[in-house]
Amino acid sequence: MPPPPSQNSKIKEPIFVKSVIPKSRQQLLKWNGWGYTDSQFVVKVDEHKNIQVYFTGKRYPIGEVTLPHLAQWAIDKLDLDLTQPPKRSQPPPTESQYPESKIPESILLKLKNFSISYSIDIVDRVVRAHGQTLHDIYTLRNSVFERIPDVVVWPTGHDEVVKLVTLCNDNNIVLIPYGGGTAVSGAVECPTSEQRPIISLDTSQMNKILWLDRDNLVACCESGIVGQDLERELGRMGFTTGHEPDSYEFSSLGGWVATRASGMKKNTYGNIEDLVVHVKMVTANGVLEKGCQVPRLSCGPDFNHVILGSEGSLGVVTEVVIKIRPLPQCRKYGSVVFPNFETGVKYMREVAKRRLQPASIRLMDNDQFKFGMILKPEESYFGIILDGIKKFYITKIKGFDVDQMCVMTLLFEGDETDVKLSEKKLYELAKQFGAIPAGETNGERGYMLTFVIAYIRDLGLQYDVVAESFETSVPWDRAVTLVKNVKQVVAQECQRLGITHYIINSRVTQTYDAGCVIYFYLGFNHRDLGDPVDLHNRLETKARDEILASGGSISHHHGVGKLRRKWYPKTVSNVGLSLYLSIKRELDPKNIFATNNLVQSKL
Amino acid sequence: MDVSRKYENFLEFRRQEKSNFLWISRTLRPKVANVQEAPCSPSLHKDEVLQSPKIQELLDKLSSVQNVPKGHLEKQVKEILDEIGYNKSLKVIRWLGLVLTKICLRVSSGIYINVNKVQQVRSKMGNCPVIFVPSHRSYADFILMSYMCFTYEIVIPAIAAGMDFHGMWGMGTMLRDTGAFFMRRSYNDDSVYWTVFKQYIYQLVTRGDLPIEFFIEGTRSRSNKSLAPKFGLISMILKPYFFAQVPDILFVPISISYDRVLEENLFAYELLGVPKPKETTSGFFKSLKILKERFGSIFFHIGEPISSKEFFGDSIDRSIHATASLHKQDLTDQEKSVIPPLAFEILHRQQQGFVITIFNLVALVLNNTYTNKKKLPTILELKQQLLWLRSIIESLGAYIHCDDLEKEIRECLVVHRNIIHFNSNNEVSLVETQIHQGKVNIQKLKAHQLSDQTMTYSVPFVALQIYVNPTLFYLFDLAVLFTVIQKEGALNKEDLWVRYHFLRSLYAMEFVFPPQKEHITYESALENAIAVNALILAGDTYIVGRNVELQEILHSSFKPFLLSYSTVFLVLQHLPLACEQKTILANVQRILEDAINNKESFVHPYTLNLDTLSNCINSLCAMSVLKKARRENAVSFEINKTELDDVKTRLDLYIPTLCINEDLLVNLQLQNKL
Repeated sequence: MPPPPSQNSKIKEPIFVKSVIPKSRQQLLKWNGWGYTDSQFVVKVDEHKNIQVYFTGKRYPIGEVTLPHLAQWAIDKLDLDLTQPPKRSQPPPTESQYPESKIPESILLKLKNFSISYSIDIVDRVVRAHGQTLHDIYTLRNSVFERIPDVVVWPTGHDEVVKLVTLCNDNNIVLIPYGGGTAVSGAVECPTSEQRPIISLDTSQMNKILWLDRDNLVACCESGIVGQDLERELGRMGFTTGHEPDSYEFSSLGGWVATRASGMKKNTYGNIEDLVVHVKMVTANGVLEKGCQVPRLSCGPDFNHVILGSEGSLGVVTEVVIKIRPLPQCRKYGSVVFPNFETGVKYMREVAKRRLQPASIRLMDNDQFKFGMILKPEESYFGIILDGIKKFYITKIKGFDVDQMCVMTLLFEGDETDVKLSEKKLYELAKQFGAIPAGETNGERGYMLTFVIAYIRDLGLQYDVVAESFETSVPWDRAVTLVKNVKQVVAQECQRLGITHYIINSRVTQTYDAGCVIYFYLGFNHRDLGDPVDLHNRLETKARDEILASGGSISHHHGVGKLRRKWYPKTVSNVGLSLYLSIKRELDPKNIFATNNLVQSKL
Repeated sequence: MDVSRKYENFLEFRRQEKSNFLWISRTLRPKVANVQEAPCSPSLHKDEVLQSPKIQELLDKLSSVQNVPKGHLEKQVKEILDEIGYNKSLKVIRWLGLVLTKICLRVSSGIYINVNKVQQVRSKMGNCPVIFVPSHRSYADFILMSYMCFTYEIVIPAIAAGMDFHGMWGMGTMLRDTGAFFMRRSYNDDSVYWTVFKQYIYQLVTRGDLPIEFFIEGTRSRSNKSLAPKFGLISMILKPYFFAQVPDILFVPISISYDRVLEENLFAYELLGVPKPKETTSGFFKSLKILKERFGSIFFHIGEPISSKEFFGDSIDRSIHATASLHKQDLTDQEKSVIPPLAFEILHRQQQGFVITIFNLVALVLNNTYTNKKKLPTILELKQQLLWLRSIIESLGAYIHCDDLEKEIRECLVVHRNIIHFNSNNEVSLVETQIHQGKVNIQKLKAHQLSDQTMTYSVPFVALQIYVNPTLFYLFDLAVLFTVIQKEGALNKEDLWVRYHFLRSLYAMEFVFPPQKEHITYESALENAIAVNALILAGDTYIVGRNVELQEILHSSFKPFLLSYSTVFLVLQHLPLACEQKTILANVQRILEDAINNKESFVHPYTLNLDTLSNCINSLCAMSVLKKARRENAVSFEINKTELDDVKTRLDLYIPTLCINEDLLVNLQLQNKL
């Protein structure tokens, strides 16, 4: 139970937040993979050729226990050869691998004069040359980036950013904002053909909470604050933003705004566009902001929406006034088992129709459901499918097919009475759909696995398996066919490419009045098949084409970046495209924010 | 050898096994086309159609416009759905399977199939709708298709059947129980019916797990040549693909070749214009006398499946339907425009798949013999000619089924003893049977009433031509090229193309081919013509080659079609500007009957066939020489005389002289004046 809001305690503002993540990120986080260096999946083969897989570290609940079923699953599904020595990553980057920094001495001198911290160290530069796409990680492990920033700078506040932007604009230097480094759209990658010097603007040192307004329940924060720091600090004072994207341990407030992020609990708290009350963006043309801090205004167009989703191409987000809420009294998990995916989606549609959504409601398909079971530490094989008597009940009495059933996970937040009422309504409705409640533990595990699953790709990479996720939003009536179509297209394309072992699974992660969000995982074994990144891109392109054909969108929350540029004009119309280009020309006439996100810039 | 041409005789397994009964009652684990999480029963399909937003909105609208209670309209829709909807009774399927096994073992020497492709198609099934598109030469087609599926453990398809079966007592129910659903003829314009029918197809494609089977030619081809594809049903089937309600749709072209077509005699009569009897159950039992006959072998050729997704590629952007409710949308013009090329491609693969039998070659030889009034061959002479002809037809891409030529020839003489036999000189000749038509209901005639004498003379030739026709798929292009060069002398490739294109277009309904492939067809026809020495390339012009025997065959097989078309033109020239279809057909037949009976020079009786005459009329419509109008159940045409004269002049260049009784033409004009 969280402490009650400490209304009276004196808090000195601004709050200087000590971030979990050090300025030199690589000391805590993997330089060549996802997350913390101490957390990873490890394979151990003993002298009897027994293979054991476990997850290291104590940060997550599945840490330091063996996962007896994972190895066999990986062998069966993805043809992993775990007896082979794992493919190790190359050592961290060295000076000799990359060209020298192109940044002129005069600029470095200016930075010194501004007292803005900077580095031209090769590791610092490479670490900020990428996000978390498959291409990024595969490149880090095996080769070199075509282009990396020439210098990394760490401004400590809005005014320093203004100075930096002016400096760059005056000297025609490219500036790429860098937040938490979790982009999966290629947004922070340097454009390969950029001839001008590139500065990477790391916002991590501007992470103060400038002030808190308890009357209006808003907080003004600098954009570099990362999710877990923000939540920890607000929690101490009895508040939460409730914004919890899967990457929130590492991703930053500015990044959320710049990509139009969405949090798991958006049903209760809203998406980033609902949470932002006021935002400052430093552009080459000055600072774009509103003159008031009001809940809504009739004064269009809303230029917040020029900032939201601008992906670093129009300016640097420096300060955000974000809504906060008192911490909920009660937080509870839940889960429901459905006979099949289609029924699960129908149920979710009904929940959305009645607006009964709890903080989070997610539906995993049969493959993900099984995978969740595979990650259980229990020894007995039957135990992993479903615990004893429950399995008998579900399969024999209810007649569920183990190869079709799906699990839905639920998260409730709020007053205890509200949570109880919400649970009652949802479980009663579930019964009408022939579903069976499956307890809190399964629900909690489901959400925990969301954070752990991001680590598994690094394991696959050591055994010729690559994996990636992609997502979309879709109207309700087309959700089921979209999933089916995408899976079939991926299967067809795998066959064409000679890929024999692959996984493609999905879950519904968000619900809205008019539709839902589908999240796909795709992974395959690329042994003897050539460049896996290229293979993956072909698969994902086909999948995205099929998503659009099936009525889905370019992205729900990952953003466009460079990876999904191809579908941008179709998404916004040609008029929309030229409208964006006009804004770009107005705000950044020299194209110093030459990220090439959304549109390949020709300015 | 091409593995796709490796055939397995699956009737042989039935012959070998101890008990057919055990086989038909075995446990079935058939492969389905499109696995559904919650499969639909036949009645659930009907319910879902009724509850679909499309039908519900239609009923709401009608209910308010016509001021009738919606419940009343729903009842009507239910009735329509009961008329359309398929059913499934495994019991009926098994019993039918047993009866069919017994019949086939008796009348057929083998049912062959390229089993590799069956396995390939099976392995591709499961993830998207699969559509079986067999050729249609006989009523036996769909019964045998289901039998084949039953044999190879493919779930019995939902089969689009014509309403003529629906009316047959007992038969309709039985076919429905084995998966048939019924479709009214297209000229019916009940809009509620068609909305319901289309929604039913949409339902089967999106929510069904069975393959769907339909005949792209729309009806049985009486001539044993492919009919031009119909686009109605295939468009309905493709709609869910364009709307991205399914990831892909696989079309499997299937060619079913018969050594002897069950209905050959009936077809010969129908081709000449004697109307076919309505399908009745007693008619069916009468046809049981077939049990005493021999029908030789049947060949299934499963063609390479066509993925709609691959076929359409980037020419179709399915995301354009993303911004509105699907049930309120229709196919775009762009989508409609890409359907015909697919339909033609499916048909083309059927054409390529047909198995040519030795009797097809025998028919070709005999036809040439009679046309050129040559001496009839003895069996040895026939064998020599067949050896030569076989290698030529094979070199043109045909697959000819023949293990032992002499045995096959003898088999022909047994299976086709109603058409050919040894005459008193031990030569192979046509069988002639005296025909007495008795009292003919003139109202039921489709054209001119042919005399008993004409019928007696013509029926054997027409029956023979039914077996010549399959070979023309390989010979027609060569015949066109040769005819042009023979009449016009040396031509370069461009000039030859102009003539080829003209004749190809004129005969587009007669010898169907994909218009999108005309250039490729031309190129390969030229190559083939040179390879078999029908033409020679001298410098950059084409001249007549040295293969005289082949040229003679090309000439004799093209000739009837030239004559028929030319006579249609002649009649049209003498008719007033507007006339009925029946008038045209009757007059053409009258003139040709006279020419045939004249016997001064040989005029092939096949020139009389209504199939070719209608093809000619349809081609003229496509070329805007005729304009079709439908009034009060009669089809009539407006004639553009200038265009007609132009086309006639161009065609007549290649027409052999025909002795026309000028009186008949004068008579024709007089009739019109009266």
